[in-house]
Amino acid sequence: MEALARLAAETVDTVAKTAADEKNIAAAASAGFAYGLAAIGPGIGIGYLVGQAVSAMARQPEAAGMVRTTMFLGIAFTEALALIGFVVFILLKFA
Amino acid sequence: MLTAVITHRGENSVQVKLVGQSTGLVTPKIEAEEGQDMGPNPIAPEGKELLWGGLSFVVMAVAIRYFLFPKLKKGMDDRYAGIRADHESAEATTAAARGDVAEYEKALVAVRAEAAAKVDAARQTLDSERQAAINELNSRIAARRSEADAALSAAREANRSQITAAVSAVVTRATELSVGRAPDAAVVERAIADAMAGGSR
Amino acid sequence: MFALEFPPINEILRWREVAPSLNKVGIIAVAAALIAIVVFILATRQDHRKAPTGVRNFAETTVEFVENGIVMQTMGRDGLGWTPFLLSLFVFIYLCNAPGIIPILQMPATARMAIPAFLSILVWVIYNGAGIKHQGFGGYFKSVLFPPGVPKALYALVTPIEFISTIIVRPFSLMVRLFANMLAGHILLVTFALLSEALFQARDKVLVPFGVLPMFMLIFLTGFEVLVAFLQAYIFTILTAVYIGGAVHPEH
Repeated sequence: MEALARLAAETVDTVAKTAADEKNIAAAASAGFAYGLAAIGPGIGIGYLVGQAVSAMARQPEAAGMVRTTMFLGIAFTEALALIGFVVFILLKFA
Repeated sequence: MLTAVITHRGENSVQVKLVGQSTGLVTPKIEAEEGQDMGPNPIAPEGKELLWGGLSFVVMAVAIRYFLFPKLKKGMDDRYAGIRADHESAEATTAAARGDVAEYEKALVAVRAEAAAKVDAARQTLDSERQAAINELNSRIAARRSEADAALSAAREANRSQITAAVSAVVTRATELSVGRAPDAAVVERAIADAMAGGSR
Repeated sequence: MFALEFPPINEILRWREVAPSLNKVGIIAVAAALIAIVVFILATRQDHRKAPTGVRNFAETTVEFVENGIVMQTMGRDGLGWTPFLLSLFVFIYLCNAPGIIPILQMPATARMAIPAFLSILVWVIYNGAGIKHQGFGGYFKSVLFPPGVPKALYALVTPIEFISTIIVRPFSLMVRLFANMLAGHILLVTFALLSEALFQARDKVLVPFGVLPMFMLIFLTGFEVLVAFLQAYIFTILTAVYIGGAVHPEH
């Protein structure tokens, strides 16, 4: 991660680079990576979860209400990880 | 202790100032400028928003919890109870109406049975009367017919005896003439009876 | 190339104060509470014996949604006493989310940390309080930290995890979920709005027609945000219901 950030920092035009600039560049690069990496797992997870929920609903349409509620709960828990990644992104980039 | 204040002006000029901590002149000014530019921190909750949001939510939740929701819910329950009562009374009315219909149908069946019985009785009397009349008529016809038959057979018998007598006279005469002697009456009579039986065949 | 100047995120969250200490987020929160109260007052004013129409129908539909879609699904019949709290939570969050797509307002009040933080701390206090009230202090913490049916040796592993997940992660994830969803939606809308504006006003006239592409995306995302506003309110409420239900009846 740090190496990638350094790489990104080095490719930027290196005129008048102060300590603050360097910090900003590193923060921007790592922020992007933070969010991108954080989105992978939850993306797979939510896809799998919803797919299973749909097949469950197709098999037992009379249980659809219960399955839907549980699906939303599962999505909420899975999605939290991606959202924490998003918050980290904002923290790195702007705070 | 010294603090290095680095200011970046224009293209390539970087100014470095070393400031003693005691002076503290430059740093607050920069912070003030940044504070004006930056706006709120995107993550940290702001006190005033916390205050307003929390206050309005609490007011709303209390109003809903203690005044509005119970009233609304009571209205809903009342209406549902009313609907249920209406439903039940409607069902009772339906049941009563159904009982009336059943009673009516029972009465109808009884009346119909009575009517059928009456009709049957009438038909039976009619039948027996007709039968009696027919029987009487038939017996009268039979009597007449037997009378006529008797008269007819008597006449036929009379005719037949007359014819026999005539024929026997004729035969006796003819035989007398041809043979010269009167035939035996019994022989003639048998011959005539044979001939007549054959002729009447 | 497009000369697109994206403002720093602080810029799109900065609002002038209308009155001292009352900014747009505060106004939206107050308006949300007022709208909810007014709607419910109007609903209770109507004759309850007639078939509900208009406002009353709307309010009753919301109440029945919370009862049947949230409370009955998670807590069962015992949880119906929590309906008013969950109802006000749902309505308030929805009405704070909805301004994100309402023209002129264009700012979900929950995209600032204050309201989600307040609500999730309130929920934390309430579900812990409900658990302590129903099972006693020791009983509640015993059922939280030492869930039954776990081999004794595993408690060394399970107890810290349960403590962290119940006491720390739950309110944090509740807060972050709502906040980050709404903020992400807001930033997305800002991004596409700025992109289409930059393309429409591009100096190179060839680029101008391409401005409709981000504009369509903006329209689509606005529709998506309608869904998200509802879904986040629903998820916050249903998670609250699950937490309260778990604290009150640990066996479930």
